[in-house]
This record gives sequence, structure tokens and C-alpha cells, in this order.
Amino acid sequence: MPYDDPDPDDPSVLVGVEAPAAEGSETEIAYVFAEEFARLGFSEERLLELFRHPFYAGANRALQILGEEKVRSIVRETMEVWGRLRLVIEDAPEGKAWDVSLNSLQPAGHSRPRANNEVDHESSV
Amino acid sequence: MSQVYNWQLGREMEYPYEGKYPERQFAFVFNINRCIACQSCTMACKSTWTFSKGQEHMWWANVETKPYGGYPQFWDAKILELLHKANPDKQYWTGAVSDDRKSLYGQFAGMTIFEAAAKMLQPPSARVVGYLPTDEEWTSPNIYEDNPVGPKGARYKFHETGAQLPVHNTWFFYLARICNHCTYPACLAACPRKAIYKRPEDGIVLLDQSECRGYRKCVEACPYKKSMYRGNTRVSEKCVACYPRVEGTDPESNGEPLETRCMAACIGQIRMQGLVKLNPDGAWAEDRNHPLYYLVHVAKVALPLYPQLGTSPNGFYIPPRWVPRDYLHQMFGPGVERAIERYENPDRELLAVLQLFRRSNRIIYRYAVEEGPLAYEGPYRGKTIRIYNDTVIAFGKNGKEIFRTKVEEPLHVRPNKHQNSI
Repeated sequence: MPYDDPDPDDPSVLVGVEAPAAEGSETEIAYVFAEEFARLGFSEERLLELFRHPFYAGANRALQILGEEKVRSIVRETMEVWGRLRLVIEDAPEGKAWDVSLNSLQPAGHSRPRANNEVDHESSV
Repeated sequence: MSQVYNWQLGREMEYPYEGKYPERQFAFVFNINRCIACQSCTMACKSTWTFSKGQEHMWWANVETKPYGGYPQFWDAKILELLHKANPDKQYWTGAVSDDRKSLYGQFAGMTIFEAAAKMLQPPSARVVGYLPTDEEWTSPNIYEDNPVGPKGARYKFHETGAQLPVHNTWFFYLARICNHCTYPACLAACPRKAIYKRPEDGIVLLDQSECRGYRKCVEACPYKKSMYRGNTRVSEKCVACYPRVEGTDPESNGEPLETRCMAACIGQIRMQGLVKLNPDGAWAEDRNHPLYYLVHVAKVALPLYPQLGTSPNGFYIPPRWVPRDYLHQMFGPGVERAIERYENPDRELLAVLQLFRRSNRIIYRYAVEEGPLAYEGPYRGKTIRIYNDTVIAFGKNGKEIFRTKVEEPLHVRPNKHQNSI
């Protein structure tokens, strides 16, 4: 966010400049977020929370422009299709791949023993 | 200069070295429609590779807000401007998008960063058009994006009563980026020490720090600005594609190739990474049931980032649906309309492949779809949607099944012992 108004002579800084958007792009962004996260398994309430959260700037901006009612209807319409599905993920039967022994987690490249209080964040370059 | 074939441009182009291609190529697809800029990828990379003194400004993985931001600032605007200066008003594409794997997006009629080098006012030794970002441009990876600020004149201080979030009165989207491990790397082409090399087994581009003398030619040449200089060691560094994980030599992997840290940490499930087979001429070999091959060459929903630069990047993006097409066309090339149309109306196989994203941290080499019954049929936004209860099965390097996923209840919760297995 700029401290000053955008300098019209600076071609690189787009901050604060309104770039033209296709008509209905807010509706489209609302549908996209609703669809994507419904497919990820979000509930209707959780989806609405995402729209209401100011740190999810894209979705939140769509909510501010379209209004709660419109977004709620988009979420409902989306959930009607994509929300009825739940994903089932099954790991392959031989689930041993992640049972890592502690011995295999010894740090590589340190042949000498380290003192308890020794911290080395520098690379060896 | 040699002549090499760049399938993303649909034509031959000049490159300082002869074309040499790996057996398999590190590649990835990011679905921008899902990215919420949580920066989990950024921090996963930071905490793994660039947490040391001298690397404070260094973000091998980053997420920036387009069109406002960039890391370093203005990187794409600046390189596009340089190319425009070299070849005014002639940086355009011709021909039509096609199904031909050697010219998927038509032909690029303009100049790449290698071809423009001869025309630009550079030292004769310069092989690539580029520029060195200023220290200020590297300093703040997300400045002017979604970061809140306090009152004017009170910089670098916390605001006691909180700060106001910025409002972008227009469209924007988040662009997640790592090194593209290009087929024709500009960093490699520019290095006078030949300290940068592309591995024959997986196409990962690495920088040999014992050979590097810190001339920063790679930093100048990489159009994506993913090679970075480290002041306290006086050599450059870049993304290593988490090669111990990709090799399967990470202790966690038990010998099986794992996806990189930034991929595995993605909570928005926008990322998939793999190793694609290449033909001897550098084009992707037909590998119909490889998920990345499917997304790039069959469904054609994933597009390269700024293909016109000429490095043949191996990072591909499913473009955001709400963004003006002109902007996307500049960023991802002429395949944008086709990609968005298909992504908006996914067919049965595309829906299945999209389910493979982030179901495992192991690299998928092949998938299979077991067709199931129709699970839903109904109207949605003026069209009829059909969803099938198909089962998608992912296979690893050794041909063994990694996991399978289908679309019906119940929701499976991973047991506690697997919760942190990213």
C-alpha cells in the first residue's frame, strides 16, 4: 500500500492504479473461490468465513463488492454441486514407507561430534 | 550461438550452447485459481535452505500479488520493457494454438532474451539481455502488495492501534514462483565460469559454488530473477529443487522420490511436481498417463510463465479465470483462452487428475482412472455438470501404488502418526 498517491510518470508502479477488468470479474472470482474450496471439502459455513476474512483479500473484496446475500447465494449454488462430494484418500497398503527409523535421521555431513550448545547455521561455503 | 528447438515458441531459436537434454525433466504445475498467498511454500523453503546469515533477502520460493508486486520489484515489467526496446512493437505471436506438441501455442515472432542480446547495447561478451535489480528491489518481497501500513511518516514502526489493510480496487491474483529449471537456462548461458549446470538425470539446474566467483552474470541474465547473490560468501545461490528429496536420498523418503518442500507444504493444494520424460530433441516425450504431461499436453490447461522470454521454463500454471485475458495472454502466451475454457468446463479425466494434487508428498509417475458410476448430474451456471465416482490411482517411481482417491463419503482423516509427513 503506498504512502503517496501514485506517480503518473512512473510506468512500473501500478499501486493504486485501477486496471480495467472484465465485467463481472468479481462474480467470477467469487465462483472460483467457492468452487475450488468446495472441491477441497470446505463446508458452507467455512466457505463463508473465508469470504468474510479480510486477510483472504481476493475473496473478501468480492464479498464487499457483491454483498453478503449474493455471495451466500453463490456459495449455496456451488455447494449444491461440489459440496455433496467428499474425497476419500487411501494410502497404498504397504504403509511402511513413512516409518522412518531415528538412525536414518542423523544429520549428514557432520562427522565430528557436536557439543550440546553448538549451533551452526552457516553453510560450509 | 547454436540453433535449438523451443517447443513453447513453436520454432528454433538461438542459444549460446548446443541443446543438451536430460532423461527426465523436473517440472511442476501450479493452479493459481486456488492460491491464497498463505506463504506456506515460501516459509517451507526459507526454513530449509535460506535461513542463514547473508540470506536475509533471499527467497527462492515466493508468492507475489499480480499485477502490483514482484520479487524483486518490477522483474517482469523490466525484462518485458528491455525486450520491447530491442524489438519495438514486434513481440507478438503468430499462427494458431494447436495440438501439435512442437508448437502448442503457435509461433512466437518476436525476440527472446538470447536473440535480443546482439541488438542491445551490451558488452560484446553479453549473451543474454537482462539487468541487475537494485538492492532496494530485492529488499522487501511483498512491498506494496497486501501488507498493511501505518500512518505516513512513521515507517518501520508497529502501529499502536493496528493498521489498515490495503484495498485493490481491481482484479489481482497471487503468483507463486520458484526457479523454473529451464530447458535453456539463461543463468547457465550467461555464466563466464561455467559454474552452472543442468543435471542429466532430472534437468535440475544447479550452481557450483566452488566454481562461482560472484560475477552475478546469472543474476543479471535470469529473466525470472531466481538466481541471487549472497554478499557474505560472495557467490551466487539459487533454488536447488530440493534435490535430495527428488533423488529419494532424503532420510524421510526411504528411497522414493519426494516432491520439494514448497510443493509438500502447500495447504491450498495448488501444486504438483514431477519428472517428465524428454525426447532426444528436448520436447516432452509422449507419456499419456503422466499427470503433468496430461495437464500440459493433453488437457492443455497448464501454461508456461512468460514463454516468450525463450528459456523454455518448466513451471506451468493453470491461469486464474477472473483476470483480463490480455494480461494473461502476455504472461502465459496464446494458450490462455483454451486453458481457461477447458478448466471452467472440466471433463471427467481432468476432474480426476485434479484430485491428485497434494494427496501425497511422493512424486507421481503415472496415474490410472477406474471409472465408477455417475454420482451427480445437474445444472450449474447454465450447464449440465456430471460428476462420476471415479477412482484415481497414483503410482510412484517403482510402479507401485502410492495412493488412490475417489469422490464419496466418508472423509478420511490421516492418523496422527502421519500428520506431519510433509
